[in-house]
Amino acid sequence: MKVINHIKEIRLKKGITQVQMAEDLQITRQTINAIEKNKYNPSLELALKLIKYFDVPIEELFYLDETKGEIK
Amino acid sequence: MTVKRLQIISWIVIIGCMLIGGLLAIYLIGKETGVYDYELLFPITIGTVGGFLIFLAISRLKKKRNGNVPDFDERSVSLIKKYLMISLYVILFGSGAALIIVYAMGIKYIETGLLMIYLFSLYIILGLGTLVVKRL
Repeated sequence: MKVINHIKEIRLKKGITQVQMAEDLQITRQTINAIEKNKYNPSLELALKLIKYFDVPIEELFYLDETKGEIK
Repeated sequence: MTVKRLQIISWIVIIGCMLIGGLLAIYLIGKETGVYDYELLFPITIGTVGGFLIFLAISRLKKKRNGNVPDFDERSVSLIKKYLMISLYVILFGSGAALIIVYAMGIKYIETGLLMIYLFSLYIILGLGTLVVKRL
């Protein structure tokens, strides 16, 4: 199952640029781009940092795409 | 250990290795020709320190342009890990295959100089590949 995130929507809603976010979280802009495009799943540490940064509950930021396969 | 401390240690190690390499070159030249030209130490030191200063200037410029965005993060590390893992097997089996082909062609001896060139090109390809992968 694929992990989907709403980082781009939340970031744009809060008016934060990718560069600003990269500076604040000490990650590269390419990583933010990859996470937003669901091409890279952040580590637990970075995921927790993202939750703290946006101040939203985890289920609002990340969720499993259940249409991509069933839990076995 | 902080990143800054690690960075300083790596700079010292790199500069030290360059200087030791230069000294080794003077020794090898001296052994071959009989003349130990220690005046070569001057361009070796200037080159090493100059190169380091150029690197520092470029990184300062980059920092000014990109702000406080880091050069690498967890994703770069995982990409480099994957790249090195794949290249390990490519080099291992590629070299083995090359050796078998060379043997089948009837070549029984390999000059150590040629082996050095082969290893040197491998290091360059690995280094450049790592730089490219880091930027992905």
